[in-house]
Amino acid sequence: MSALTFELRSAPDQRLDLGPLLPERLDGLKPKEIEALAIGTTRVPLSVGDGFKVTGTDASEVRFAGTDARCDKIGAGMTKGAIVVDGDAGAYLGAGMKKGKIEVSGSAGVLAGASMAGGSIAIAGDAGERAGGIHVGETLGMRGGVITIGGNAGSLLGERMRRGLVIVGGDAGDYAGGRMVAGTILIKRRVGANAGFGLRRGTLILVEPPKDILPTFGDCGVLEFDYLRLLEHWLRANDKPVNLGGRARRLMGDMSVLGKGEMLILA
Amino acid sequence: MSQLSLKGVAIVETFAEAFPMVGTRIVITAPSLEWALIAARTMTGFATSVIACGAEAGIERTLTCDETLDGRPGVAVLLFTMDTDKLQRQLRNRVGQCVLTSPGSACFAGLEGEKKLKLGASLRFFGDGWQVSKMIGGRRFWRIPVMDGEFLCEATTGFTKKAVGGGNLLVLGKSHAAVLAACERAVKAIDEIEGAITPFPGGIVRSGSKVGSKYKGQIASTNDAYCPTLKAAVNTELPLGVEAVMEIVIDGLTEDSVAKAMHAGVHAIVEGGAEAGVTHITAGNYGGNLGPHHFHLKEILA
Repeated sequence: MSALTFELRSAPDQRLDLGPLLPERLDGLKPKEIEALAIGTTRVPLSVGDGFKVTGTDASEVRFAGTDARCDKIGAGMTKGAIVVDGDAGAYLGAGMKKGKIEVSGSAGVLAGASMAGGSIAIAGDAGERAGGIHVGETLGMRGGVITIGGNAGSLLGERMRRGLVIVGGDAGDYAGGRMVAGTILIKRRVGANAGFGLRRGTLILVEPPKDILPTFGDCGVLEFDYLRLLEHWLRANDKPVNLGGRARRLMGDMSVLGKGEMLILA
Repeated sequence: MSQLSLKGVAIVETFAEAFPMVGTRIVITAPSLEWALIAARTMTGFATSVIACGAEAGIERTLTCDETLDGRPGVAVLLFTMDTDKLQRQLRNRVGQCVLTSPGSACFAGLEGEKKLKLGASLRFFGDGWQVSKMIGGRRFWRIPVMDGEFLCEATTGFTKKAVGGGNLLVLGKSHAAVLAACERAVKAIDEIEGAITPFPGGIVRSGSKVGSKYKGQIASTNDAYCPTLKAAVNTELPLGVEAVMEIVIDGLTEDSVAKAMHAGVHAIVEGGAEAGVTHITAGNYGGNLGPHHFHLKEILA
């Protein structure tokens, strides 16, 4: 059986809600039933068959081809299986997902992995604002799982994050880790202003020193962290090679709130 | 006394009687193998017998940097007790007093299992509120601040109720030196067996015991039948020419690991043949009524 594939026919004239196209919801549906699923977001009705050429039968792996930044909610709420996106993804990519795996060859819009509880999202390109942040109606951001962003991340990365790991291969915008409750964010290049603003617990691992450090962070100096070795070892074992070493400058904060969070700036 | 022989060494047709235990494995890492071994030896000290130590423990093997979770040298340690509550208590106390305190150490689970023992989950309170929890790959770790940095400790480790304790070999020989050398070879061979340890000093026991005593309150006393100095006075098991007897006690995570360890031990003991001074290999039992695991030497050699 080949993967159930949705190939976008042409650029849509409205934003698409691809939330219904989850492996668990498509499993057992006949091709006609799949093509009849509504994906429009305006008063102009739009079904899967109108927008996509559908091929394949194996719903455990769902593939999207030719999608763009107006294709929202891909994998949102997903609980099993795999989704592969050959193209860009719109807003809410994998938001609220619990299990499963999403891979995007392009970039993703705002709120990728927002309030997700488990599973993994790998975005080869950039991610918009609030990746791993707070999904609509939620009080906390990401609660588990792993988000890997190959390019740059927008502002408020991991806002109110509770658990999980976010890895950014490029730069991160302002307020990275803003109001974070726990969890880990690793940023391999530059980080914007006010990183760790309102950080209660949780860890920001910065490969490059930030341009500015909030005055509400206290310096513990450069120290050895076996935790960094553990994380590096795990990342290598999971095809996410990174050199963390074992030494980092520890900044504790944000002292304006609980202050038990940290920025580990690799030494 | 015996019918079998291996390289001229008589193998007594008897069996080792062993008991069910609960066991766990943890992995200790450190900046160097030397320091990992220091922590492991300290943790497994005074853990020869559950009779008075509360637990039986030993180093299973050393681990290379590629085999540990944090990429540092490590040591796998096995710990056994008679029930789960005691295992939990011994694990907490021994890791808390001997591994947490050892410079640069970290401690990880070494056994999977649905049911878990608390490891860092109880030691975290030493952090007095400054401890940090981290989930990595679905496993929880605690970072506990200490004076040399942080003690990294996995929250839980698995355990097994299918462990076996008390596998044993009794080595009889013409001289103390010959028996000691043979037992040293056996312990070295057993060290290579996964899931098994020899908890006594250097893996060898010179004071095998029998159940009970003439003295009230003494639950175990010297195994007089195997004491060479008492040959003339007791119902001895020793031929006149036997000068010394030593025992190797084996605990394992499974029945199979104990059997493999006994097999390796017997072959190492007879390595030099009868010329090396070993006369007999036998095993200790209580008539077969106390322990459900019977390791017959004849079957072990098969």
